[in-house]
Amino acid sequence: MGEMMRILLVEDEKKIGDYLQKGLEEAGFRVQLCRNGLDGYHRAITESFELLILDVMLPDIDGWQLLQQLREAKHTTPVLFLTARDSLEDKVKGLELGADDYLVKPFAFAELLARVRSLLRRGLRQVLPDELQVDDLLLDIPRRRASRGNSRIHLTGREFTLLEFLVRHRGEVLPRSLIASQVWDMNFDSDTNVIDVAIRRLRAKIDDPFPTKLIHTVRGMGYRLDIEEPC
Amino acid sequence: MLSLKLPPGRSRLSLAGRVMLLVGLTLALSFLLLGTVIDHLMRQHFARQDASELAVVAESVRSILAQQPPEAELARLQAALQRAVVGHHGVYFALYSRTDQLLYLAQGPDLGPLLHTRVQSRLDPELLQPWQAQGHSYRGIALSSTLSDGQEVKLLLAGKMDFHLQFIAKFRQTLWLIMACAWLLTMISAWLAITWGHRPLLLLSRQIRSISADRLDIRLQPERVPAELKELVVAFNAMITQVESGFRRLTHFSADIAHELRTPLTNLATQAQVALSQSRSNDEYREILYSGLEEYERLTKMVGDMLWLAKTDNGLIVPNLTRLTLQTEILALFDYFEPWAEEAGVRLTLAGQASLQGDRDMLRRALSNLLANAIKYSQAHTKISVTLEQGPALVGIRITNQGAPLTQAQLARLFDRFYRADPARPGSGDSSGLGLAIVKSIIEVHKGSISVDSHLGLTSFSLSLPRG
Repeated sequence: MGEMMRILLVEDEKKIGDYLQKGLEEAGFRVQLCRNGLDGYHRAITESFELLILDVMLPDIDGWQLLQQLREAKHTTPVLFLTARDSLEDKVKGLELGADDYLVKPFAFAELLARVRSLLRRGLRQVLPDELQVDDLLLDIPRRRASRGNSRIHLTGREFTLLEFLVRHRGEVLPRSLIASQVWDMNFDSDTNVIDVAIRRLRAKIDDPFPTKLIHTVRGMGYRLDIEEPC
Repeated sequence: MLSLKLPPGRSRLSLAGRVMLLVGLTLALSFLLLGTVIDHLMRQHFARQDASELAVVAESVRSILAQQPPEAELARLQAALQRAVVGHHGVYFALYSRTDQLLYLAQGPDLGPLLHTRVQSRLDPELLQPWQAQGHSYRGIALSSTLSDGQEVKLLLAGKMDFHLQFIAKFRQTLWLIMACAWLLTMISAWLAITWGHRPLLLLSRQIRSISADRLDIRLQPERVPAELKELVVAFNAMITQVESGFRRLTHFSADIAHELRTPLTNLATQAQVALSQSRSNDEYREILYSGLEEYERLTKMVGDMLWLAKTDNGLIVPNLTRLTLQTEILALFDYFEPWAEEAGVRLTLAGQASLQGDRDMLRRALSNLLANAIKYSQAHTKISVTLEQGPALVGIRITNQGAPLTQAQLARLFDRFYRADPARPGSGDSSGLGLAIVKSIIEVHKGSISVDSHLGLTSFSLSLPRG
């Protein structure tokens, strides 16, 4: 994602709004923060954004209404909802109104970042390459083969899926719950041990025998695959 | 609060009022009917009596007339006729020719009114004509009679009714008085019976009033109420028992929550205070933030789990039912747990097959909690076996692992919130102590049941779920 992506964030809680703005800006996005629904709506139709992040509970018009107005005005910008509610009904309502994704508070910031990136990628309609490469790690997607340099790495089916997921989200911090959900389809807070063990075994195959380490643990947040560890 | 509000301007009769109204009306109606019937029967009886008296006299007059020769002296005839009424007090008669010429009249009232009535051949009680004259009441009839020479004459017969009428009037008065008294007595006793009958209800409501949040141990005594209220009292007691246990659980739960939250909050506060007491290097600050983050994660997970449990307690979680093939689900979970199990030296095995209607994510969560539990507490180089069993109405899932045996007391509390069978055990640090409580809540949302037993070093969780 070369040029700076513009994100409109509508959030009335001061602290969360400020921190989200800061976090997203540090992750390389340009963030416009609005504290109420009407400002948000005005900005959304007068300026151009690649993504809207809407809080459902707003003081004036709520996130549902805002989204409805936007969709009626034929605005197709992807929308990610933040909400404290997590009932199925709310989810259905949000998705029916045309929300693209949904995140329940409290959420891990890394997870928000991952979802934001995947929504933005969706908009780009990238052609999925057959080969993925990070440093000397090469993934042959159709044949499900992995190698580093000249040595072939033997992975189980699930290990390959996990590695592919990490490579596709290169550079992003991936929370354990997101990994469990995307790689194993386990959509609940499960014992974090499982992911740690799976990553450890994957590391033993793709990192331990080689001088350059690719999989990095981000304490308290999750895992990240990239060439070098940032300070 | 639920309250019964009546529409304004319409008051509702009390139960006692309704019963009294119904009993009063029914009783009054039946007394009225009874009185009328008795009255009618008595009049009929007296009319018959009068008629038979008159019939005797008529018979004797007719026979005298038939026996007398036509040329007999008038004086002799009169004397004979006189004798006909001897012994019949208050009976009078007269003879008229067909042309209404008076032939004979014994002493007594004027029988003229009978002259204009139809002449009857028979004496029936119904044919008697009543009339009044000079303050007396009479009842009489005009009969046809034949003299010995074949001449037709009219025989007018009448009896005085005064005595009978007086008796009837007196009797009627007494009868209605008795009935009124009987009605009143019945009403009073009915009212007393109702009031007395409602006393147990009043006592019950007084007892119920004494039950409050801090006195939930009070029970009503079914042996001290009438048979009809026994069922109500038993049902009420059952309800209070449930309320009490729910209340007790909630109280304990709140206390446990406070306790569980205090530990991480203390950690965070202390850490921050110590950190701020002097200036530190960036690395140290980063370390402190990471450590804080871990505590926050624990807190978040705990709050999420508690919220889930609160929702299932209040029936707010509705399973999204789909047909699930259990062996597929279990194998997916095995795939997920495989690395961890392998590392722990535990083998995962599956036997049997079953399918049911269930919420996929919820059941995966429940089974994953149980499997994680089994892996955590298994001895190395043992196996965890999952057995599926398809019954006609129920599906059985059994998860067995080999590990340290659990005591009966531990087993009994295993599904309690925040209960940890082995608090000192390392690795249980990141578990909230709510895992098994959540498993139980998920199974209950599916209307199933779960039990656990520990025998000869084998710990088994047995789930029973409806096929749906």
